[in-house]
Amino acid sequence: MGKSPTTKDDAQALFKSLRSAYSATPTNLKIIDLYVVFAVSTALVQVVYLAIVGSFPFNSFLSGVLSCVGTAVLAVCLRIQVNKENKEFKDLPPERAFADFVLCNLVLHLVIMNFLG
Amino acid sequence: MAKFSIATVFIASISLLLALSNSFSLENPTDRRILVLVDDLALKSSHSIFFSSLQTRGFELDFKLSDDPKIALQRYGQYLYDGLILFSPTIERFGGSLDVAAILDFVDSGKDLIVAADASASDLIRNIAAECGVDFDEDSSAVVIDHGSYAVSGTEGDHTLIAADDFIQSDVLLGTTKIEAPVLFKGIGHSLNPANSLVLKVLSASPSAYSANPKSKLSSPPSLSGSSISLVSVVQARNNARVLFSGSLDLFSNKFFKSPVQKAGSSNKYAKSGNQQFVTELSKWVFHERGHLKAVNVRHHRVGETDEPAIYRINDDLEYLVEIYEWSGSSWEPYVANDVQIQFYMMSPYVLKTMSTDKKGLYHTSFKVPDVYGVFQFKVEYQRLGYTSLSLAKQIPVRPFRHNEYERFIPTAFPYYGASFSTMAAFFIFSFVYLYSK
Repeated sequence: MGKSPTTKDDAQALFKSLRSAYSATPTNLKIIDLYVVFAVSTALVQVVYLAIVGSFPFNSFLSGVLSCVGTAVLAVCLRIQVNKENKEFKDLPPERAFADFVLCNLVLHLVIMNFLG
Repeated sequence: MAKFSIATVFIASISLLLALSNSFSLENPTDRRILVLVDDLALKSSHSIFFSSLQTRGFELDFKLSDDPKIALQRYGQYLYDGLILFSPTIERFGGSLDVAAILDFVDSGKDLIVAADASASDLIRNIAAECGVDFDEDSSAVVIDHGSYAVSGTEGDHTLIAADDFIQSDVLLGTTKIEAPVLFKGIGHSLNPANSLVLKVLSASPSAYSANPKSKLSSPPSLSGSSISLVSVVQARNNARVLFSGSLDLFSNKFFKSPVQKAGSSNKYAKSGNQQFVTELSKWVFHERGHLKAVNVRHHRVGETDEPAIYRINDDLEYLVEIYEWSGSSWEPYVANDVQIQFYMMSPYVLKTMSTDKKGLYHTSFKVPDVYGVFQFKVEYQRLGYTSLSLAKQIPVRPFRHNEYERFIPTAFPYYGASFSTMAAFFIFSFVYLYSK
C-alpha cells in the first residue's frame, strides 16, 4: 500500500532533477535540441503517412524521411562538437564546427532534391 | 555488249525455268506431278478408279515399273515430282538410283508419299516405313485376322477380309462428310513407334483383331493384337511433308471400291464399301488439297497508331494482327478457329492470349506490354491435328521509361515534398537563430 506513492514520488523527483539539470544547459544547445525534435517528429509523421497510403512513390518517401533523419544526425554532430563540457573537441573552434554543419547540410539537400522525383 | 547479252540469256533461262516448274509452291501448295511405282502394270487397270480420281483432280501421273532402270526422282538437283506413290509391296530393290535414302530425302525436302504394303511386303518397304515410325509386323507371313468384325461374304473364309470402321475423328483428314460404310481391308497390320510423335493412326483395327499367319495354328500369343494395330497411318513431318502408310494394297483397288459390305454381327448392309470415300479424302489431305495453312500480313503497332514501331516501351498498349488462310485445293479461304494464341515471349511467355477473329481470316488481339524490359518475341505456335504447323516469330525490343518519362508531381507524394522543403526552411531559420542568439 505504501509502495506506489513512493514510486510516484521517485518519478517526480527524477523529472524535477532532470528539469533542473537541463535548465543549466546553454541556450545554443537548447536551440539545437529543439531543431532535432522538429526533424525527428517530421520523420515520424511521414512514416505514419506511408503506413496509411502505401509505398508508392517510394523514392519520394525515402528522400522525405532521409532529409529529416540526416538533418537530425548532422544537428546532433554539431551539438557534440560545440558542447563546452565535451573535452574531446576542445581544440575545435565552434565556428569551424558550424561551417562543417552548413556544408554537410548543403550536400544532403542537394542529394535529397535529386532523389525527390 | 557481250555482258548485256549474257544477262539477257540468263534472265530468259530463269523465266523459262519458272514457267516450267508449275508445281508445288508457297502460293499453290497442291502437288502436281506424281510418280507411281507399281510391281505390275496390270495394277493400272485393277486400281483405275483411284488413279482416274487423281487425274480428274488435275494430277499428272507417271506410271513406272518399280524395277525400271530409268527411275529418277531428281535431275540436275531438281525434283521431277511432287509426290510418290509406292504400289509395289514386293519389290526388293528399286531400279535406277532410287533407294531408301533417296525416298527419305524426297520426304525431307517436303514432298509427299503414299506407301501401300501387302501380305508379302519386302524388307525395302518395311525399312521405309520403319524410318517414318511405322513398324509392320515382323512375321512376314502374318496378316490381320479378326473373328469379331470381319466382312460377311458368301463363303465362310479365314476372316482376313476385315470391315474396319474405327476412324480417327478429324474433319481435316477425312473430310466433313461422315464415312458411313465400313472400309474393307485385307493385308498386314502395323504398330506405331511410340518415340515418333508425328505419326497418327487413321484407321485402327477392332479390339478383337490380331496379327498372325491364318494357315498355321496359333501356338504363341500374337505380337500385335487389339486396337493397337493400325491399318492405315499418316505422318506429317515437321517440314509439312505428308506420308500415308497402308497395310493393304487392295484397299485402293476397284474391286474393294465397288463391293458391297456387311460387317459381321451387324444387320446394316451397304451397297458400296467406304473405301472410295476414305481413300479419296485421305489422298486429298496427303497431296495438300486440304489442311494447308499460311499466315500472312503479320503486323503490330501501338493502340491508336498504324505504323510499326522499332521498339516498344514497358506498359505500352499494343495491337497484334495476323491473317491465316487455308488452302482449299483451288484458292486460299479464310481459316476460322477460336484457338489461335499469341505469345509475348522472352525465355518464357509473359503474355499468352487467344486471338479473336473476324471470320475473314484476320486474327487480332491487343495487350499491355509487361513491366519488364528486354528483347521479346511475338510468337504464334499453331499445331493442330491434320493442319500444317504454323510457327511465326518476330523479335521486338522493349525499353524502360526514359528518365524524363516518369510521372512527376504526384499528389500522393506532396507530404514528402513538404517535409523536404520544411526541413530546408528549418535549416535556414535554425542557422539564423543559432548565429544571432547570445
